[in-house]
Amino acid sequence: MLDHILSIIIFFPAVAGILGFLVQKDSVRAYGIAVAGIEFALSLWLWFSFDSSVSGMQFMEQLPLVPAFGINYILGVDGISVFIIILASFFTMIGISSLGETKDIKNMIVTLLFLQMTMAGVFAALDAILFYVFWELSLVPMLYIIGAWGGPLRVYASVKFFLYTFTGSLVMLVGMLFMAYFYYQATGVWSFAILEWYRLILPESFQLWLFAAFFLGFAIKVPMFPFHTWLPYAHGQAPTIGSVILAAILLKMGTYAFIRFSLPLFPDASVFYMFPIAVLAIIMIIYTAMVAYAQKDVKQVVAYSSVSHMGVIILGTFALNVEGISGSIFLMIAHGVVSGALFLLVGVIYDRRHTKLMSEFGGLAHVMPRYATIFGLMMMASVGLPLTINFVGEFLSLLGFYQQSHILTLLAGMAIIVGAIYMLAAYKKMFFGEVTNEANRNLPDVNKRELFALIPLAIITVWLGIYPKPLLEPINNSVKSVVQLMHDKAITDEAKSRIPSLVKGIEITKTSTPEAH
Amino acid sequence: MELYLYLALFSPLVSSLFSALFTATPKKQFTGIVASGLIILAFVSSTILLTHILSGGDVVHVELMTWMATGDLYIPFGFVVDQVSVTMMMVVTLVSSVVHVYSIGYMDHDKGFNRFFSYLSAFVFSMMILVMSDNFAGLFIGWEGVGLCSWLLIGFWYHKESATWAANEAFIMNRIADLGMLIGLFLVYWNTGTLQYEQAFAAMPSLSTDILTWMGIFLFIGAMGKSAQFPLHTWLADAMEGPTPVSALIHAATMVTAGVYLVIRANPLYDLIPNVGLFIASLGAFVAFYAASMALVNRDMKRIIAYSTLSQLGYMFVAAGLGAYWVALFHLMAHAFFKALLFLGAGNVMHAMHDELDPFKMGGLKKPMKATFIMMTLASVALAGIFPFAGFFSKDLILEVSIIEHHYIIYSVLLFTAGLTAFYSFRLVALIFHGEERYKLFGIHPHEAYKFMLVAMSPLLILAIIAGSFKMTYFEMVTALLPATEYHVHSVAMYWIMTIGTQIFVILAIAFAYKKYAMSPVTVPDGTSKMENRLCYKILINQYYIPYIYQEYVVKPYRELSTIFWKEIDMKIVDASVDGIAKIFYSTGENTRTMQSGNLSTMLKWMVAGIVALLSLAVVFGLAVRYSDEIKVILSGLGVQ
Repeated sequence: MLDHILSIIIFFPAVAGILGFLVQKDSVRAYGIAVAGIEFALSLWLWFSFDSSVSGMQFMEQLPLVPAFGINYILGVDGISVFIIILASFFTMIGISSLGETKDIKNMIVTLLFLQMTMAGVFAALDAILFYVFWELSLVPMLYIIGAWGGPLRVYASVKFFLYTFTGSLVMLVGMLFMAYFYYQATGVWSFAILEWYRLILPESFQLWLFAAFFLGFAIKVPMFPFHTWLPYAHGQAPTIGSVILAAILLKMGTYAFIRFSLPLFPDASVFYMFPIAVLAIIMIIYTAMVAYAQKDVKQVVAYSSVSHMGVIILGTFALNVEGISGSIFLMIAHGVVSGALFLLVGVIYDRRHTKLMSEFGGLAHVMPRYATIFGLMMMASVGLPLTINFVGEFLSLLGFYQQSHILTLLAGMAIIVGAIYMLAAYKKMFFGEVTNEANRNLPDVNKRELFALIPLAIITVWLGIYPKPLLEPINNSVKSVVQLMHDKAITDEAKSRIPSLVKGIEITKTSTPEAH
Repeated sequence: MELYLYLALFSPLVSSLFSALFTATPKKQFTGIVASGLIILAFVSSTILLTHILSGGDVVHVELMTWMATGDLYIPFGFVVDQVSVTMMMVVTLVSSVVHVYSIGYMDHDKGFNRFFSYLSAFVFSMMILVMSDNFAGLFIGWEGVGLCSWLLIGFWYHKESATWAANEAFIMNRIADLGMLIGLFLVYWNTGTLQYEQAFAAMPSLSTDILTWMGIFLFIGAMGKSAQFPLHTWLADAMEGPTPVSALIHAATMVTAGVYLVIRANPLYDLIPNVGLFIASLGAFVAFYAASMALVNRDMKRIIAYSTLSQLGYMFVAAGLGAYWVALFHLMAHAFFKALLFLGAGNVMHAMHDELDPFKMGGLKKPMKATFIMMTLASVALAGIFPFAGFFSKDLILEVSIIEHHYIIYSVLLFTAGLTAFYSFRLVALIFHGEERYKLFGIHPHEAYKFMLVAMSPLLILAIIAGSFKMTYFEMVTALLPATEYHVHSVAMYWIMTIGTQIFVILAIAFAYKKYAMSPVTVPDGTSKMENRLCYKILINQYYIPYIYQEYVVKPYRELSTIFWKEIDMKIVDASVDGIAKIFYSTGENTRTMQSGNLSTMLKWMVAGIVALLSLAVVFGLAVRYSDEIKVILSGLGVQ
């Protein structure tokens, strides 16, 4: 069974979802929780059988689909992808179990199970076409979730979300076709296998064009400035569960794809575009943080804060060294946990008051002390306080990029200031002061169902902040091989010097800090 | 000895978690008692460690586990008890024990009694991490941890707008400085390959001066935030919104001295860059004077003491900047004792006066509050630096250091500030305890604080009096780690002139303060007196208009710019152009829909047009095939194959 665990993780929720239509409406919630629970247990099993000392792909599965064009069903995980898969199944589980009163709850649960299939598929796929299929399929359940359960502007928001990301993906698909064609020209056989593409060394001019094609697809998904405007609408209109999954997992597809495709396939182009992208990332960090500060709706604050944090992730990715890339992958997980929790928390108050405007609140710490405590913890994690999960990722990302540019890191480091400004301001508006609005005076504190989702997230936030090693070690191993691959493949001198060679690096570690590792 | 290290470090954590269990329940006396007990346990452990170090024992060094390890980076949770950190541990645990016990009385009637102890102990834990860590990253954990606790405690009474505002201000301003600190850490890591103090400092002498200078500057920016040095000082005075025991512990004795501790800890670095050191010393001297001048006219008891803290931090930075690290640490220690005492005394007065802060509305309190009167007077004497109190030994030493290092301007500024210090301290004492009983107008019946609070304060009182006598023992201990420069003025005559001169100057300042505020009748200022309309008074009472400038030229523009970014740029430019592109497609579809009208003649027309278009495409394609070689040349020139 372990040989096919990835296929099982991908298709189990989908099959269970189809069967879910047969389940009675009253018991569908229990059914959903059970399926998601099994899925989560499977992903945990994946983690326990995962060998963290191996840097390459594990649990590989291969099945020919269209052999003539080298399209195969190839799956595999390494330290970069395995934790995002676990995170996805985790969020599906707590997402389903924290669902409140929802109309058409059966459809919602089936949709979420399908979404889980596509998410697991994207992160496990090692064939470009397979990746593309899951990538696009993931849009459909989300389109449905926003369009069917969203707020008043839901149709506009969902169509915008779909068309915008879909357009970007098409350009990416063209890039993939070209890539396969170049592979065919170089070797005489067609292949869409990513691992085989890794071996292909392209001239710099090709790399630049292909990088740009892939970039458009990824950048819209992340979303990077100036392609980010679909996100506030999507979050603003989506129901809580939609926002949670969107922020926690779907956004990570873009940043993950940068590390899976752009960096190892186009090392020279990555170096070439490093500074322009870093500038975009810094704009994301500072500009969207300021926009977040201006928001009146607490959900929009969290939505824009997501964009701001994604900027740090992008920056860490393009640090092109082990510290930075490991940090950015860790921050993907961290941001998933923290922003997911924040959206859940916003959902808690929305369920009670049916408004998200901060001016409606104030003094909530008097009425809902437990809620205020958990919100405070998550806010501090989002601000990047040490010993919370976010700090590890943010620190490593910035530390990594410092090697590339001092000034840009200084600017990007503003993240810790502007982040504190909008978060503390929002927290103050919601929780501090006297209770002025009569409607808030008798709000019930968080209930058991909500705590069931929030407490595990709070525990993870602190646990991985203090002890990040279980994640950081496998991530580090896989990232090392990516960086080494990039260094070996790089053609230009600029790229050779910007991307460190680890063979030498390890020696330095051994001499200077003998107790390390 | 490891056991005592763990006890000292983790009993505050246990205390915090224990109290946290009861945050949602009504006041429980035992949380305060248990919390205080655990903090005292940390104090006892620290004392044992101190005697161990004093008796020549080895430095205690433990590594708990790895925190972060990736690439070449390796950061453990490592803790070290050496001569410097044990001094800090003593200061932290002693003052926090006193403050914990005191708070049982002070927070007696507060709804958030249990919550208060949870936060306060969490602060002690963070501070212990800060001072005990053996690497920069661990220091940063503590650094941010104390920032968080400071935020929680300043905003402890979160129903008050001013308190939460001050809490956010403190946190954000500290964050600005933390960015500098973070960049400093990056510089250390990429240039020395490690963040462990020992290895990093060992690698520093071989680095270029430029890099070291930047390192020193950025780390000092971090120190400026925590220690509230100009221009990041405004948060400290506003932080007085927190409960008074918090002010005593965090904003006088411990957290604000973290910056000084950082400079002392990084002494191998600052020794290599004397220019940065000189800058630190000059800034310190400036802040010493600047803060003291604001304390002269202020009418808020706690703010006066806060400015005094700021001023004394300036003194410490002068010593640290001039390379006299042990002197800086000594003044840090002495200052912690008498300043915490002063704040706790102020807390007693506040309780007696029903949270009145304006000393002009008090007066004559020495009768009902005899013990507090004596304590605050002695603390002020120590602060003014009168022989043989603690301040005399530590502060005069800083003056001597500056003259021995030939920085006469710094010396004169510091000397003048010593006079100002004596004046404002005794202005406060005179206004509160002497003169007419002005409070009677407000119908207040002051009463002395609980006995056990006064007993809790007494260790600080004793130390404020006798701390100076530890000087030589202390000197021998810390100079195992810090540069052992002894500062003696060369000629004996000069030494006596300086010392006695300073004493006379300070005593005159005290006498002047008494004459003005205790002997002659004091009226509550109402904005009409001649002095209040003077320009310099206005500048001082408005804190040199710095908070106003920050509000008008930083906070407001930031808020407005944010709104512009959102409403104008994000909505009207970025998003509108996306929607615009989408609209083009929609309208093209909308417009071309008329083609499919079903009318046979129009359809035929379009068919002809289509055929023409296709034919011309065919022609273009045919030409392209014919001249494909030439086109390939052009394309390859463009980078397309």
